[in-house]
Amino acid sequence: MSANPVAPPKPDWARLVGDSIKQNGVWHTYGKLVEARRVYPDDLSLRGYVEIVRNVIVREFLAHPRGMQAVPKLTAEFLTNFDRFNLSAQEGYLVSLIDGRLDIQKLMILSPFDPFSTLFILAKLQQERAITVPQ
Amino acid sequence: MTSLAVELLDKLPSAIAVVTDAGRIEYRNSAFAATFGNDANSWLKEAARAVAGESGWLQTFFLDDEEPRTIDVEIEGRVYRIDKLMKAGEGGTAAVALSFDDVTRQREMEQAKSDFTAQIVHDLRGPLSGIQGTLEFVLSQEGTRLDAMYTDLLQEAQRESERMMGLINELLDFSKIQSGNFVVEKETVRVAGLLKRAVRSLQSVAARDEIFLLSAHGRDVPQIIGSVEKLTQAIINLISNSLKFTPKKGLISVGAQIVREGDMPEAIVITVTDTGMGIKAQELQQIFEKYKQSGNKSLRGGGGTGLGLYIVKQIIEAHGGDLSVASLEGVGTSMVLRLPVRKTAA
Repeated sequence: MSANPVAPPKPDWARLVGDSIKQNGVWHTYGKLVEARRVYPDDLSLRGYVEIVRNVIVREFLAHPRGMQAVPKLTAEFLTNFDRFNLSAQEGYLVSLIDGRLDIQKLMILSPFDPFSTLFILAKLQQERAITVPQ
Repeated sequence: MTSLAVELLDKLPSAIAVVTDAGRIEYRNSAFAATFGNDANSWLKEAARAVAGESGWLQTFFLDDEEPRTIDVEIEGRVYRIDKLMKAGEGGTAAVALSFDDVTRQREMEQAKSDFTAQIVHDLRGPLSGIQGTLEFVLSQEGTRLDAMYTDLLQEAQRESERMMGLINELLDFSKIQSGNFVVEKETVRVAGLLKRAVRSLQSVAARDEIFLLSAHGRDVPQIIGSVEKLTQAIINLISNSLKFTPKKGLISVGAQIVREGDMPEAIVITVTDTGMGIKAQELQQIFEKYKQSGNKSLRGGGGTGLGLYIVKQIIEAHGGDLSVASLEGVGTSMVLRLPVRKTAA
């Protein structure tokens, strides 16, 4: 007789996510939450915590003094060693638009992705040091 | 049963009876006998038939002995609220103790209150619509040279009248929910377009408050069956709430994800997420209750009825969906709603 898989007890996401952000930062927390979503695919509040962390990441990216007018540039490391960067198709597409002249606002207009996703991908590229957004 | 227990039960004002799962009354207290007389067995059977066929009504009280159950039964022009007090025994020998309260008058009062609220709200909307129309007309006259101060004042009056209309509409929806008249239309809802319009309608408010309000979904969100008007109202309410509690330079995103069963879309999960002040953990469980408001003070001023999230929840549940919340104090809040994708109108 096969037993139905028992869903693991629901963790206290608020406490876990709050502690993780303080101790490990938003990117590490985001990675852990994406893993957790595979274990708890039906947990609506978990999806909410993923979105909160994504929002914090994008807000921090936009906290640049020039905001949407900041101009991202590809890093020297990326240009000389881009094999090291394991880019997704979406990331690769956005990288192809970065020419050192287009600001974030224009990249959002040219991007085929929704505005939030475009900003999130740019933030991820910055986190991975594929791009830099000079002051 | 001891004589003391019988004496105590007989003194209770509520009608109490112990009923077997076969529908036979094993015990009745004085109030029960006074209310239903000697014909109580046939009354009980008639009530059961009226609600759910031969035995369906009675059987619900035997389903789960841990679960409290209440059913309102209308019989011979009176409404009785029947509460399960306890259950004993198993199988063919199970019995439940039930209390019967005549709530006919209470129901009539609730209906009268609901009708009165609906009438008042309806009467308030008329003149307010007139005021809004007048303000809109004056502010749209390009040839009129209004002093900047008067323009500011008129715009302020327009904002406040919109807020008042929102509060009145909330009261009207609440009144409909209370009276059981809250129905959602069954039409095709293009969710991506709906979200886009909701974001666009509040974009100027967000820009005024220096908040980034961003769409976070593609165009490939499936259609659902439901009410465009009610769902738009729910999403606008959630975004408006976020706007109240998000500081300058904050960010609000409105996303949609598709949940698939194999290759087929099964549900849409819509999120409205902000980088606002968040909600205290102890308040999270109650925010969808009526008249409950976050202990946080709105950053944009203006109170509410405390009905907004309650109404949103009713709208989502009327579409067969769920509403949940995630929040971190000082970091942000995300409202997460799940709507089933149905192929045809029910």
